[in-house]
Amino acid sequence: MRTLLLLLTVIQAPTIEITPASLTLEVGESATLRAVIQGSDAQVVFFSGNRMALTVTPSGHVTANRPGTFVVTALLPDKPFDGAWDSYSRRDPGIRTTIEVTVAEPPLESIAIVGFPKQMYAGTTLPIRVLGTDTSGAERTDFTTRFLISNTDTEDAHTAETDGFGNVTALAPGSFTITADADGVSAEHHVNVIPNPTASLTLTASSREARTGDVVRFEASARSSAGERLEKIPITFALSSRPDPNRPESVGAGAPAQIDPLGRFVAEQPGIYTIVAMSGDRIARTSVLVTPRNVAREIEFLGHARVSDRITSDLWVWEGIDGRDYAVHGTWNAEGHAYFYDVTDPTDMKLIDKVQVDARTVNDVKVSEDGRICILSREGASNRRNGFVLLDVSDPHNVEILSTFDDGLTGGVHNVFIHEDHVYAVNNGRRWDVINVEDPRNPFRVSRFETKTPGRSVHDVWVRDGIAYQAGRSDGLIVVDVGGGGMGGSPTSPVEMGKFPQITGWNHAVWPFKSKSAGRSYVIGGDEAFYRNPLKPEAGGILWKEQIPSRAKGWLHFVEFDDMKEPREVARYQLPDSGPHNLWIDWDEEIMYVAHYDAGLRIVDISGELLGDLYRQGREIARFFSTDNEGFLANAPFAWGPQPHKGTIFFTDFNSGLWAIRLVPSDTATDGEE
Amino acid sequence: MRNLLAFLFLAAPSYAGDPVTANYYAYVAAESDDTVDLIKFGPAGGELVKRIPVGIFPNEIEGPHGIKVAPGGRYWFVSIAHGMPYGRVFKYEAGTDVAVGDTQAGLFPATMDISPTTGFLFVVNFNLHGDHVPSSVSVIDTVSMTEIAQIEQGIMPHGSRVSPDGRFSYSVAMMSDELFEIDAMTLAVSRRLKLTLEDGSGAVKPTWVQPHPTKPLAYVAFNGASQVVEVDLKSWKIGRRFHTNAGPYNLAVTPDGKTLVVTEKSNHSTAFWDLDSGKERKSIRCTNKITHGVTISPDSRFAFVTVEGVGGDPGLVEVYDLQDLERRAVIEVGKQASGIDFWKMEEP
Repeated sequence: MRTLLLLLTVIQAPTIEITPASLTLEVGESATLRAVIQGSDAQVVFFSGNRMALTVTPSGHVTANRPGTFVVTALLPDKPFDGAWDSYSRRDPGIRTTIEVTVAEPPLESIAIVGFPKQMYAGTTLPIRVLGTDTSGAERTDFTTRFLISNTDTEDAHTAETDGFGNVTALAPGSFTITADADGVSAEHHVNVIPNPTASLTLTASSREARTGDVVRFEASARSSAGERLEKIPITFALSSRPDPNRPESVGAGAPAQIDPLGRFVAEQPGIYTIVAMSGDRIARTSVLVTPRNVAREIEFLGHARVSDRITSDLWVWEGIDGRDYAVHGTWNAEGHAYFYDVTDPTDMKLIDKVQVDARTVNDVKVSEDGRICILSREGASNRRNGFVLLDVSDPHNVEILSTFDDGLTGGVHNVFIHEDHVYAVNNGRRWDVINVEDPRNPFRVSRFETKTPGRSVHDVWVRDGIAYQAGRSDGLIVVDVGGGGMGGSPTSPVEMGKFPQITGWNHAVWPFKSKSAGRSYVIGGDEAFYRNPLKPEAGGILWKEQIPSRAKGWLHFVEFDDMKEPREVARYQLPDSGPHNLWIDWDEEIMYVAHYDAGLRIVDISGELLGDLYRQGREIARFFSTDNEGFLANAPFAWGPQPHKGTIFFTDFNSGLWAIRLVPSDTATDGEE
Repeated sequence: MRNLLAFLFLAAPSYAGDPVTANYYAYVAAESDDTVDLIKFGPAGGELVKRIPVGIFPNEIEGPHGIKVAPGGRYWFVSIAHGMPYGRVFKYEAGTDVAVGDTQAGLFPATMDISPTTGFLFVVNFNLHGDHVPSSVSVIDTVSMTEIAQIEQGIMPHGSRVSPDGRFSYSVAMMSDELFEIDAMTLAVSRRLKLTLEDGSGAVKPTWVQPHPTKPLAYVAFNGASQVVEVDLKSWKIGRRFHTNAGPYNLAVTPDGKTLVVTEKSNHSTAFWDLDSGKERKSIRCTNKITHGVTISPDSRFAFVTVEGVGGDPGLVEVYDLQDLERRAVIEVGKQASGIDFWKMEEP
């Protein structure tokens, strides 16, 4: 027994004690940890569980960078390897001890009520905005504020009240003080309430009848008892709704709609909607009848050029210099081919040439405006110098490789665009390079565009009318003048015009849209994301190798870019159970074509001003599921990229190649929903 | 090509050397297929046991490049080169091949090795993105899967290998011709050596460094100069130079310290060098183009070499018998087979 105890004592692993055993620091403070190892004088290594927020040197010097609670580990290494492979057990290496280090949130130093007027009209309501500054000097809004209204005229006066959510309603003439309290600091704002001169309100609508998805603009005006129009009187809009009793088929859907503070109204379902404008004790109301949008049209299937032995990627369709129509698409994770077709007759699309380059994936393809030059992006080149390849497609039956450009583009070019003799190449997710291809046999770089955002990530670039539109997973949407933006930019000197930050972190595709019917400029950013399949959680979203279709998620963000300094997201297109990939917008027809991965091809009416959820507004014109029982994955639509051309809608499907369909003219379409 | 492979596969079990008495397993990364493949070689020949999809995005090739089996064989780690924009290192449980953790590294994390004493994984951030700027080595705690440090390195670092005692991490900078030594305890560069040809000129494009298992020596592949040099880790100087075929790329030394195996990427061959004599025993043309990685069984008997192929070619693992330097098997794996590491031996 004594021998056993002695043995246990001898083989007992040393323990590490860290001093101090716990630590609390302020942002910017430092401290030094020490480790005492019982039974050993060996050296330990300290490290941080979050090195950006809490820096820890291997010798134990700790510096607090950000608030939070973090783990610091002290590791005593195992003995040096003695060359015997069996000497390492399957336990984790080394002996570890951890402590928690708390970095306190810097306290608020002050708060301020910002943007609230010093004078209100009785009977009006305004929101309060509070901004804080902490002791580190950082601006903060992540705190809870309690508001108190104190009437300053007499104690029993009831001049104003709050709703507990930061809205203040002035009730009667007099004065009051708003006190905002947060984490021990407070701010006050004094307000005078003056009589509301509004004697009457009028409310007009841009239309009394609308379809779902149509934006109706309401304008309310206040007038005095003398009939004078009163400016700057706050007017609040409210909404009541009911389904149209004459449309029993829509009753179950209710009557959802919105009206924003600017008086823009849009409904998702047919119904009767009453808008109420309020100021003081005056109100005005107007009703709108909303009917179904009725934009659904039939699809006519024209042709299918099946590709089932490999995966199909992006496409481009163009009119060749001989007047016939051609298409090219890439192949993905295969042998580096691009396929060329004569699609003049979309019911009989003929494969006319294949070009193979040193790559596994030709992800993106584009053709110049004059139909002579084609670019293929390369990934998986055997020498890991990827870049892109320029082809002469003057005769698409006999495509010739002109040159390869990989200087500085070795990591892989995922997406490209060609515009006025310049190629815009997304350089492996960090930036895009602009390459002059006036002489396609001798391309040369003329500029680069790259933000300074830490961890920046670019996925796509699209150029139209001298403006480049960038989609970036971390930077969001960026609009860049490359010659047409009026800010002095050019291909050799791109100039940023405006940006809209990413929202979901999945920003993948981008398309500009100048809406003639709405008189507005939009930039549409597409998400790309995938659901994890619970049947194969370890596979992430990747299941095609296991013959299981992937399921996408995400949506299209519609960002109004009329004011480059203050773009704002105004609408979205989101299917309940799928996510978008590439898209195309016909500016003349104001129709959007979306290759919606597992939801097939979606065709959407985007005419008029855009507000709210476009899918739920019944704007979908048609859908087509590219189902192919002989596809790479059978019966698994996975639409990749669309392009309308001369009345035919061409698109590629990941699993089944090239498709051609057409919208049946609306005068022959069925009425209402499918 | 496929017929040739079928022939080689069928021909595999006949030997001139000692019989094969164990099954040998290795994990292989397929950079252009986003898979890690588990292969087996034994008395019955070679075979692909399992294909494990890796990465996050279904519709982007993310490029698994480096692979490392933890000492003890409980886990394996794979570096995924492409990210948004940073790559990641994933941790899988060996055998079940279920992902159990991951962490972000730097730009294009590639080759890596684990210190057996700390469990720290040193992965080079190869940064294959065009600009020739200094990059880094990420240090990852493999227990918590936390990146605990980024240590600045030269331009396009590659060939991360840890000394047998776990005290130092070595890597080379391909475009700045340097050998780096990182102290695995202080997590700082302890020494750097400019790598040159005999006449002091540069542009040697080193791609790998391999410490000797028992001696204070390391071997560095000069991919751009058709040499492998022996660096004395005590004097920190280049000693012997082995003149190879074109494009020496990855290296491995047998655990018994006798044989250096060199993949000759540009020559599409694998060479075997006797380290005592400093003489090449044999260089064998591979069955397809672009040899890449190599790992050796713990009994010093077999070398497993990856062959990338071009375009749609499958990747290959070629198994060489180090007794008679004959190819014993060719196993098809995913496209652009790159990193490879030995997992385990077991009785058939």
